[in-house]
Parts: sequence; C-alpha cells; structure tokens
Amino acid sequence: MTMENGDEFAVGCFLSIRTTLGDEFEGQVMTFDRETNYLVLQESSKHGPRRNIRLLKADYIKDFTFLGQGQDPLHSHDCSLDLNALQSREELAIRQAEADAERIGVGVTTEAQNIFDALSKTLPVRWDKTVIVVMNEVRVSSPYHSECVIGGTPAANDRVKKVLDFERKRLQLRS
Amino acid sequence: MGRSNKNLVTEDHTISSMLFITMSIIGLPVDVHVKDGSVYSGIFHTASFDAGFGVVLKQARMTKKGKGLSNVGNEVLVDTLVVLADDLVQVVAKEVALTVDAVGGKMTGDCEEAVTLEVRSSENRPVDAEQVNQSRQAGDNNSKGKPDDRRQKLEFNKKNDAKIQSLHSGHESDTCLRRVKADKASDQSSETERSTSPDSTCTHSTISEDLKEASNNFPAKFIEKSAPRGKDRTNNAKEFKLNPAAKVFSPSFLYPNSASPAVPTAANMVYMPNSCAAANMVYIPNNSPAANMVYIPNSSPAANMVYIPNTSPPVPVATIQPEVGFNTFASQPSVPTKISQNGNLTVGNAGSGSQFSQPLPYAAHYPPVLSEPAYLQPTNSPAVMVGRSAQFVYVQQVAQDLLHGVSAPFSTRPLLNHVQFPKHQGPHGQPIPVVLPAAVLASAQQPFAIQNHVPVLQPAFTAPPISVPGPNGFYGNKFS
Repeated sequence: MTMENGDEFAVGCFLSIRTTLGDEFEGQVMTFDRETNYLVLQESSKHGPRRNIRLLKADYIKDFTFLGQGQDPLHSHDCSLDLNALQSREELAIRQAEADAERIGVGVTTEAQNIFDALSKTLPVRWDKTVIVVMNEVRVSSPYHSECVIGGTPAANDRVKKVLDFERKRLQLRS
Repeated sequence: MGRSNKNLVTEDHTISSMLFITMSIIGLPVDVHVKDGSVYSGIFHTASFDAGFGVVLKQARMTKKGKGLSNVGNEVLVDTLVVLADDLVQVVAKEVALTVDAVGGKMTGDCEEAVTLEVRSSENRPVDAEQVNQSRQAGDNNSKGKPDDRRQKLEFNKKNDAKIQSLHSGHESDTCLRRVKADKASDQSSETERSTSPDSTCTHSTISEDLKEASNNFPAKFIEKSAPRGKDRTNNAKEFKLNPAAKVFSPSFLYPNSASPAVPTAANMVYMPNSCAAANMVYIPNNSPAANMVYIPNSSPAANMVYIPNTSPPVPVATIQPEVGFNTFASQPSVPTKISQNGNLTVGNAGSGSQFSQPLPYAAHYPPVLSEPAYLQPTNSPAVMVGRSAQFVYVQQVAQDLLHGVSAPFSTRPLLNHVQFPKHQGPHGQPIPVVLPAAVLASAQQPFAIQNHVPVLQPAFTAPPISVPGPNGFYGNKFS
C-alpha cells in the first residue's frame, strides 16, 4: 500500500505493523521517506540505547495499528556521522566475518561442522575442502571417525583420535 | 501532526533522516528481506537512493530461503551482495545505537589525512567527472553524471581489503590516497557496471538503473567475488607474506596536483636516476604470475635487465629500447614488486642510488591475465604515473577474478582512456603511442577478469641494446 501523504506515518508514533510477507512487529516511527517510500522504525529492545532498526518498504505493509504517539526518536540524538568510524567498523566487521568463515566448511554436514567446532576448542584446526586438518599435519576426513584420522606423527595422530572420540561422545550426549 | 520527514543537520550537511539512518548502520550486521521471502544476512556496506532504495551487503549469506529462485547458494558466503530496489522489502539492523559514542568517535591518525583528502577530492570532483565522461566510450550509457552529494555520501566506502592492509607498512598517505582514488574508481565503476549475469562484476555502492534491468530473474542480484574460500585466501596470504616489505603505491591520476608529491612513497616507484636522461623502464605489473618487469638503465650500455618479481613461468618480454622512454608502472597489492636498485637490477649510474626522480609516463605491458588468480585490490592498483609536467598515462590494473567458476573474461569496457601523450616525441619525431587496456573499475573487492593487453609500441628499435640518446634524453628538460 502506498502512502499518498506522510501524515499517517508521523514521526514518533508507535505502530504495530503486519507485512504482506507475514512479518509482524511493533515499532516507533523514526522517519518516513516519501521518495523511496520507506518507513524507518525503531523497535524497543530490552534496555539501553541500542535498538533494532527496520527500514521497511511501505508497499509491503499489509495493515497497521496505531498504538500511540511518542517523541521523535531522532530528535534527542546527536545527529552527527563519523565517517571514519563507520569505515573502521565496517572493516572490522568484514575481517571478523572472513575469519569466521574460514572456520566454516563448505559442503560439509552439520555433524562435521560440529566436530570441527568441538576440535577447534583445543586444537588448531582448519578446513581443507571437507577434510579437517588438525595442527597442519593430521587429516580427518569424512565421516570423521577415529578410523578416518590420517597422518601426522604417531603422537599427534593419537592425540587427535582421542580428542575426536571425546568430542564425539560429548556431542552425542548433548543431542 | 508530527513531521513525516525531516532534514537532519549534521556538522556540515543537511541530510534526510533516512539517509542519516542508512549511514548509521554501515558496518553493522543486517538482515535483508527480499520480496520472495528470502532473508540475507551480511554486513551493511552501502545503499543506493537512485531510483529506489537498494542496498549492498558484504560477507552475506542466505539465512532464510524464500519462494523464488536465487543465485546465491545456501551455504555460500558472498563477498558482496547487491540487492536491488525492486527486490528489497526490509532491512533490519539489530542492536543499533545512533549516538555518537556508540558509533565510535575515536579518530585515528589515519582519519585526519583521510578527511583532508576527501576534501581535496571534492574539489577535484568536477574535473574528474569531465575527464571521465569524455573518455567514456559510446557503449556506456551511463553518461549521466552523479550528483555530488551522492559521491560525498559514498566517500566512506571501504576500499581496502583486510588482507591488503596487512601487507602494507601502514603508510598513511598511501592509505589515504587509496581511499580517495578508490572512491573515484568506485564512483566511475558504478556508472558503467553491467550485470547481465551473475558473472558480471563491479558491484558498487551506487546501483545504476542498468543493474535493475539485468536482474529481473532473481530476487537478489548476486555478485560474487572470491567465492572459494579458505584455500585461495591462504595462498594469497602466503603470497603477500613473501614480500612483506613491499608497499603499494597507488597514486591518483585523477588528481595530478595532489598525487605527484606523494608519489615517491612506495616500493613500486619507477626509478629513474637523475643523471640518466631517460630511464627507460617497462614495468609489467604482476597481475598474474606471469608478469615480468624490465628495467633498462640508460647509461649502462649492456645492462638490459629483466627483473621478474614473482616466480612464474617465464614470459617473453619485449626488451624496450631506450629510445622510447616509457615507464610502466602499476601498483598491485597482491603482487608486491620491489624496484630495487641493488639485487636484481644493476644501475649503471653511479650515485643514482635510490633517488626517486619524477616519474615518467609510460605504458604498461600486461601479459594476458589467464593464469592463477591473483587477488588484487583493483582500486588500489591503477597504474598511474604522473609526470612532472602532469602528463600521464593512465593504465589501469584491475584485479583478476578469483572466482573459479568464472572462466570467461568479462566484457570490459574502457572506463578511462584518458591519455595525455607526452608532448615530447620519440626519437624519430613520432608521437609515442600508448594503448590502454580496457578495464573495468570497480569498488574494492570486486571480481573481474581483465585482459590487459597493452602492447608497448616502440617506434624504432636500434640494434645495440641501448643507445644513449643524449644528456637530456628524449624529453628535453622536462624530466631532467
């Protein structure tokens, strides 16, 4: 539904909205951008200054309910943008995401990933396609049982086998 | 009742609340809902207000599958995901604090220079736009200029890849130059990007209308870069580590005034000894393992050296005769190449040492980019030399596609063919031709395969390897 005028989305008012895709949420209007037809809502989450922010295309609003009027949520904020901080934040986030992604196997089962995560607590592990490489020398391939542990010095090999068995048991107990 | 849309006054600008909020969530993990019900999660990178509201995520993956088809696999982590305005339904950012403190107001040393350069870039922007527009080829139909406020908005785009940053010795001016230049690059790229298939590259902060046309079949336009994870990155990281001291020099040809003083900072400088009239060097950037560099010092008659910065299959390199004073230079963060005066290169001139005189314009000879992908930060690596007389040849060195699945090189269109031929001429009075590679500029971390064929055309070759043209070389007094 498109809004002809923005008065119905007055800044600061609390709305409960249902979208055409089936989402439902409540929030306070931060702004309504007429050009792009986007409604920006702030959801009250727990405590503290941190909120969830939604940028919702008004076309997808199925219906909404007016819950009350509040103050302009942006008014009290110091509206300045530190571009460099934004940039740094983004860089950091990307770096972190990349690091995390290295720890996720592509094309591996959930079980394999769980084993990997469990092993990574105590051993340096990395993925090599679908093979878990431990300490850069011991390789654990699918299906990641003790029999599948290959390579490395006998000591390292044994250690990996032991940890693998241990972690497998732990995972079984949990699930 | 209340205001429905207000303009916020930030320090210097008045922007809409929507824009303010959009910028405030940059760098935060967001969930993007698209019209078929799919949800993608990633780091909010940028948005476009051009013909609707579209967003770009980094390190995105599909977290909820919708009804429609998608070109993003379930487990695939996409480096850059472009969601067009038509497809976008919702952007949800969790745990956002809009206050200054929450954003992180600490300024590092970098920031000041970055700010300065941003200012500078804004001054030069009109010039840049003209140059860019003039050099566009007919094929580009994005000749419409971008409003300056958009460019300003996009200035904070991150251009430096983390890997690349780890390479650098942290030279401040390099970083800032890169940022500025990359911003220009990314702006330009956005105006010429074509995305007719998932193979297309050059996703960018500003999403042009052409992108929209191309993505009718998919709810989310997916432009993938370096999709194979792990191995490639490890290898690339290793490559980087091999040359830890290498710096990346990426002068901004777009700002000849600003770039020249900062030029002699990186190891990829073209070295031209002062006493040598015309140091004829061809530097072949190593955008693939098969790149070579040729350094021919002028005053040493028999010193035709070939410096191969990377272990790679030998590639025949044209030995450039000194009559043509072309210095090719490109900076590539992925391939650290050092022009060392000791080691591999023998400098005939005594005392020429490691002076960095003003760089000469030169053309780059790029071997075809066909082999192992080398991750390259495209926006960090345009090959630019700014001569003292502000004559320069812009040769762009663009990243090669890391994506294994992309075998066909993208159709590249020359983005910048702005060439100023040196006013001096070759030894036989012929203008020295320069052929620029077709290249696609893109924002950071974009995949594309570039065929860089820049034959170095020499008007004449004489039999003896080097003939010293004279004390002043071919360039008169301009470069001495």
